[in-house]
Amino acid sequence: MRIRILAVLAIVVSLLSGCGYNSFQTGDEAIKSAWSEVINQYQRRADLVPNLVSTVQGYASHEKDVLTQVTQARAQVGSIQATPELINNPESFAKFQQAQAGLSSALSRLLVVTENYPNLKADASFRDLQAQLEGTENRITVARNRYIKSVEAYNVSVRTFPNNLTAMMLGYQVKPNFSVENEKAISVAPKVDFGGGKK
Amino acid sequence: MWRALVAVCFLCLANLAGAQELQAVPRLTARITDQTATLAPDQRSRLESKLTDFERQKGAQIALLIVPSVSPETVEQYALRVVESWKLGRKGVDDGVLLLVAKDDRKLRIEVGYALEGALNDATAKRIISETITPRFKQGDYFGGIDAGLDAMIKVIGGEPLPAPKPVNSAVNGAFDLESMLPIGFILVFVVGGILRSIFGRFLAAGIVGGAAGVVVSLIFSSMLIAVIVGVVAFVVSLLAGFRGGGGGGGRGWSSGSSSSSWGGGFSGGGGSFGGGGASGGW
Repeated sequence: MRIRILAVLAIVVSLLSGCGYNSFQTGDEAIKSAWSEVINQYQRRADLVPNLVSTVQGYASHEKDVLTQVTQARAQVGSIQATPELINNPESFAKFQQAQAGLSSALSRLLVVTENYPNLKADASFRDLQAQLEGTENRITVARNRYIKSVEAYNVSVRTFPNNLTAMMLGYQVKPNFSVENEKAISVAPKVDFGGGKK
Repeated sequence: MWRALVAVCFLCLANLAGAQELQAVPRLTARITDQTATLAPDQRSRLESKLTDFERQKGAQIALLIVPSVSPETVEQYALRVVESWKLGRKGVDDGVLLLVAKDDRKLRIEVGYALEGALNDATAKRIISETITPRFKQGDYFGGIDAGLDAMIKVIGGEPLPAPKPVNSAVNGAFDLESMLPIGFILVFVVGGILRSIFGRFLAAGIVGGAAGVVVSLIFSSMLIAVIVGVVAFVVSLLAGFRGGGGGGGRGWSSGSSSSSWGGGFSGGGGSFGGGGASGGW
């Protein structure tokens, strides 16, 4: 009797792992950690903004429009709770994307404006902030790419046979990925290069 | 299942096709990789020994790569691909740094591993590039710029508390990697244990197997601690194997912890990871 139960259990376990249940769990966890890194880096960027704004203000106080835009975009980003659950909800995921893209373009406009202020550009703390911002934008790109790859792997595993049967039965769905328009908006924005004058 | 396989195959093909247009990542054989013949042999060996000394002292791995061009990618993208394949820095510590110079593009980048993002932060890396390296590059003094840049990085990283490097001799030799020997060891324990069990009985046989395993391991690794652990595990495993239906399981808990960064002729990354930190510049 006990042996029979054990045998049934063994079959169920092997079926589950054979049908991708385990790979869903692995993939899900990988996505979560990749997503945490994305949020982490976006947060890092948001934390840089107040300093950046106040530094720019010291030299270019009459560029009110651009500065307010950046502050507003920063506030918008801050108003969205970037929880790990976000990735399971395509709607709020898109919202999050939009807010971050808004901050990206506001920041890039700000950096374009600073081109007109040689004193600002020579300021040591501004240069440090600028380097940090560049580095953070690069980290965001890296984190996003890693997220995209982990979601791709997960989605392929959810949608291919026979895993899709398991996914259907247990309610696992494909996760939203960064869309192309957003990808463009964000990957173009930080490419404001001060040294080379490339826009 | 087949569909999954086919999909994977297509993905691989697509990746290959895409990768061919990009610049290949050179194989990591030394700390200094110069594909442009910019450095003279004696300059190269001076830099090499400087970085070797630093790793011996501090444990952090710094490597230099000079390539003609990184197009069509940006220097950031290429640098990330390089460090992802080279895995500079110790595994779990992530203390690697890459200085990448794309000579014909007139671009360079310092790519910093996770553990060093605090000491060699973006602003510091940027300063090293724009105040130390590029002024010399502008005058055509590549060696001077690289030398001074590496010195600056070493100075900054030197102030960072990192785990002490492993002493050279006690590093586990790659050929006797514990993990790769584990399956063989297990099979031996089972087979020999089975034979001995039929001769001596369960308990005595397990004792013999455990003792023998301990002796063999202590001969190979010259470490008493590992020998004792292996001996005990072998004893328990072969004892359990004596019970019907028992056995198996366990054992794979410890890893060799080999850093695989040998200080001899070759050079390889220790398994560190990167998250895109650092700074870029041009001249």
